[in-house]
Parts: sequence; C-alpha cells; structure tokens
Amino acid sequence: MSSGTIFYITTLLVYGGVDVVACLGLSLQFGTAGITNFGFIIYQAAGAYVAAVLSLPRDTANGGFQTYVLGLHLAFPLPWIGGAVAGGLLAIPAGLVVRRSLRPDFAGVSMLVTAVILNTVVDNFVPLFNGAAGVALVPSPLGNLFNPQSLKWQWMYSGIALFMCIVVLLVIRLITESPYGRSLRAMREDETAAKAVGKNTDRMRMTVLITGGAVAGLSGAILVGFINLWAPSAWTYPETIVLIAAVIIGGRGNHYGAILGAALVPLGFLEATRFIPAFGPAGLVPALEWIVTGLLILVFLWFRPQGVIPERRHRLARSLPAQAAAAVSGAAELATGPARGQ
Amino acid sequence: MDIVIASVGFGLVTASVLAIASVAFTMQFGITDVLNLSFGGVMIASAFIAYVVNNAGVNIWIGVLVAGVAGAIISYLINRFVLTPFKRRNTSPIGMVIVTLALGLILENLVLAVAGPNNVSYAMNSGPTLAVGAFELTALQIGMIALSLIIAGAIHALLRLTRLGKAMRATSCNAGLARASGIRTERVIASTWLITGALCGISGAAFAMNSGSFGSSSAELFLVVIIASVFVGGVGQPYGAMLGALLLGLVTEVSAAFITPDYKEVIAFIILLGVMALRPQGLIARATV
Repeated sequence: MSSGTIFYITTLLVYGGVDVVACLGLSLQFGTAGITNFGFIIYQAAGAYVAAVLSLPRDTANGGFQTYVLGLHLAFPLPWIGGAVAGGLLAIPAGLVVRRSLRPDFAGVSMLVTAVILNTVVDNFVPLFNGAAGVALVPSPLGNLFNPQSLKWQWMYSGIALFMCIVVLLVIRLITESPYGRSLRAMREDETAAKAVGKNTDRMRMTVLITGGAVAGLSGAILVGFINLWAPSAWTYPETIVLIAAVIIGGRGNHYGAILGAALVPLGFLEATRFIPAFGPAGLVPALEWIVTGLLILVFLWFRPQGVIPERRHRLARSLPAQAAAAVSGAAELATGPARGQ
Repeated sequence: MDIVIASVGFGLVTASVLAIASVAFTMQFGITDVLNLSFGGVMIASAFIAYVVNNAGVNIWIGVLVAGVAGAIISYLINRFVLTPFKRRNTSPIGMVIVTLALGLILENLVLAVAGPNNVSYAMNSGPTLAVGAFELTALQIGMIALSLIIAGAIHALLRLTRLGKAMRATSCNAGLARASGIRTERVIASTWLITGALCGISGAAFAMNSGSFGSSSAELFLVVIIASVFVGGVGQPYGAMLGALLLGLVTEVSAAFITPDYKEVIAFIILLGVMALRPQGLIARATV
C-alpha cells in the first residue's frame, strides 16, 4: 500500500472513532433516555476548543498570529480530560433550561437555538477562540513520541481513537444495562409513570445530559488532536442533524445501532460522495449531500423508525408470559421489577 | 443620540417583518400543534422565488405577493404530504420537530443547489425619504410597516369575524373537543397551513428586502429572533407574537446601535432564555386565542 492510502485509512479510522464516540453519547441521550438534544454538536465543539487551548502554548507563541484564552501547554492526556469536563459542564445550563421547559419539543428547540447562537458568538468574539478563523496549530498528542507526520504516529493515533470507542462503549453499556438504565428507559416511555414509582426524572435528565456532554467533549478532543484545527464552520447546527440521522438510521436505544449509524452516515455516506466526480458549480455536491441526509431521516422515520438494528427488548419479568413480557413498556418493567431508589 | 433615534426606525421595520413571521409561526404551533423548524427554509425558498420573478423585471411588491403564493403552496404541500401522514401515525411532538428540521435542511439546500452560494439582492427603489429630525424612513420601509399593519388587521379580522377563524380558535383551544363539535379540524389545519404559509412567504421576501442581500442560510439567525418573539408573547398566541415582535424588533436594532450589529441575535437569545427560565408561558398568560 502506498503511504497515501495508509494515511487515508488511518484518517477514516480516526474520523470513524470520533463519530462512534459522539453517536454513543447521543444515543444515550436520544435513544435510551429520550432526550432530544438538537444542540449536541456544541458539546463536541466545547471539548475540541478546550482541548485545543489546554494543549496549545500561550497565544503569544507562533508570532502571536492568533488569539485565544488559556494556552496552558499541558501534556496528553490532560487536554482530553479537560475537553470531556468542559462538555459535561456546558450541559448544566442546558439541563436547567430543559427542566423549566413546558414541553419536550420546546426544550429541543431551545437547545437548537443555543447551538446557533453559541456558534455566532464564538465566530464574532475573537479573543475567546480566535473567531471565525478558528484555533490552528493545535499540538498532536504524543507528538514528542513519534513525528506526527509519520505513519507510526498515524497508526498509534487511530489505535487510541478505537481504544477510546471501546472505553466509551463499555462505560455507556454499564449505565444502560444497569437498573439506572432501566429507569432511563422508563422515563423515555412514560415520564409520569416513572415519577410515580419515585424516580427523580429531573435529576436523571441532568445526569444524562452531563454524561452525554462529556462523551461529546471527548470526541471533540480526539478530533482536534488529529486535525490540529478547530473553527466555527466545523460545528454548525446541521452537524447535529447528521449525528441524529446516524442514530435514527442505525437504530436508537442500542449501542450497535449507534455504531452502525456512525459508520453508515457521517463516515460511509459522506466519504462515499468524495469518490463521485465533482459536477455542477461549487457547493452543489455538499448541498445535495444535505438534501439526501434530510431525506434519509424522513424515509427512515416513515418506513423503519426503529432503525437498521432495532432496540433489543429488555426482559425482566421472566415469570410473566413471554407475550406480556414483550408488551410491557419500560415503565411497567420498572413497576414489576426490583425497583430500587436511585 | 441621533443614532438611537435612527435605530428606532430600523427597529420598527424589523419589527414589522418579525411580526408577520411570528404570527405565522405561532399560529402554526397553536392550531396545528407543530413547532415548525422548516419555517426559515420556507421563508428563504419563497424569497428566492420572488427574486427570480423580480430579476425578470417585475416590481418587488408583486414579488412579495408571489413569495406569499409560493410560501402558501410549499407549506400546504409539506402539511399534506409529510406532516399530516406523520401525525396520523401518532408521531410525538418532538418527532414532528425532527421531521420539520429535516424538511428545513432539505429546503435550504435546495435553494443552495439552485441559487448557488452567492448572496443575491432584489432590484428595488427605496423611494423618497421621510425624515423627522434624525428619524428617517424610506418609502419602501413605510410600505413594509404598512404591509405588516394590514396583515395584523387581517389576522385579527380572520380570527374574530369569520367562521374559519372561530374554528381555528376552537382547534387551537382543544382539537379533540372541536372535532367532537363537528369542526373538520383537518380542513381547518390545511387552511391554517395555506394562510400561515402565505405569511411565511411574505415575511421571507420582506426579510430579504430589509436585509439588502440574502443567501440560502440567511434566515437561520432570523429564525432565532422569530422563536424569541414567539416565546415572549406566549407560544400559540397571535396577539402575543405581535407584541413580542415589536419588543424584539426594537430591542435588537437599538442594541445594534449601542453594541455591534454582530450580537443582535445574541440579545434576542438572552431574552428568549430569560423568558423560558422565568416565565415559560410568555408575557401574556394563555387566554383564548
């Protein structure tokens, strides 16, 4: 294989890893807990920015051609941890707004609006993260170990990205397969019933928003360490729609669906169009990509709302007849199952 | 001080555009129960159709009418072929929002695919300027304010004086009960999409006139201001939306004179968050629509 091909493969692996991590976080919120977070991309953005300014030297370095806050020049893995923490912290105000919202669709819209506005603010307010130009020359993690331009580093970084996918998958599985995960599904199916059996749904929602935010922040940190650049154009609000499309198409509420969705939509679909010869005026192909993404969402919601891999039925009450067990919703499961206080 | 007085003029024009859009958005929600995030896409698609007509040499005010017809047709079709089928399947409100979001993405990028990435502007004559001290309005701007007032009056007459308006208010209040009383709610909803779609198209063209030039994604930030004025007035309430539009139009333009125009929408957003946190039902508590 030529080194060009290898660079392409490792790039795909890292992008795929980032998309899988992000989709797992979104699937926890959207699939398992039923929280539709239209602003999911801002948590990835926060993680990327914070990881960038934690690993970059002060902005007076490199001739001071860009301005940004902090610039602590920390060693790997501290910037990644910082990115995840930033994503988690940013979820707290969102959780407070969601709590006050009259309806879940109002909450979703408020998060979308927040994503649009934060993008505008970061775009215009240059001292924060260098405005529309974005922060550049972000150091590659472990760049002191191997030369970041070398194939060794590329393989190492894709290995780390895939390792992070597995770690995130295991952590999220731990949450969703526990009694707490059952409570989350109960909240998704029937919030009133979940409240009636003593679940604090406000707190559960906040926890899920923070966890998902941290996972998204981590995905941003992994991405920015690889592409070394992060700008507002990388996280406009339709980027969230791509991730939502991935989770809907793959199958919400199950991890393999989220992984498959990440491989199919952001990676598979958007990479495949790279090999179509360019036609028409500039910008036509990306516009068509967005149109197809929108159509895919509609088609899947209509013909196969459960996605390619449907959510596995969570059976608890073995004593019930199989048919009844299949019919019980999360809330009923909770009532018959060993309901423990959270 | 002069700049503040001048910005009040801009504020009134923006408020006029905003009022047309907000009334349409809030009626769509109140009567059809859909929080329509494809609104910005329909606005821009209609504004672009008006551009095509205008570019062929037709007066811009006729272009505004064309945009209204285009908006009505697009919105009617969206309701007939996408929203109603999804509603019949008992799609949850948040599911409907995802559907409209996907529709908005499709519309916006259709405009991008047809019109290309460059901004376009209407050929229009802003006419003589009326000036009282520092307060200045062009004839075109006065025309836009007048258009908005006419539409507000028409909506008031529709809701209060016609059978359709009464049926709309009943559907908004309680769709099930309205159906039980013999109101054909599906027809009412279809008419609502036609009427609000026309307003959406008109507001799109007016928005494009007001902002000078526009591109496929120009309405994204304006949708934030629309949503803010809708929430300020209380979601689903046409009169509240008019009030919210007046407030937000003035506040955003006057703040632009004080700070920078870059943060107009940020001000609207802060107001939106404040309302959502402190008074989620809107400034006017829900009465009958």
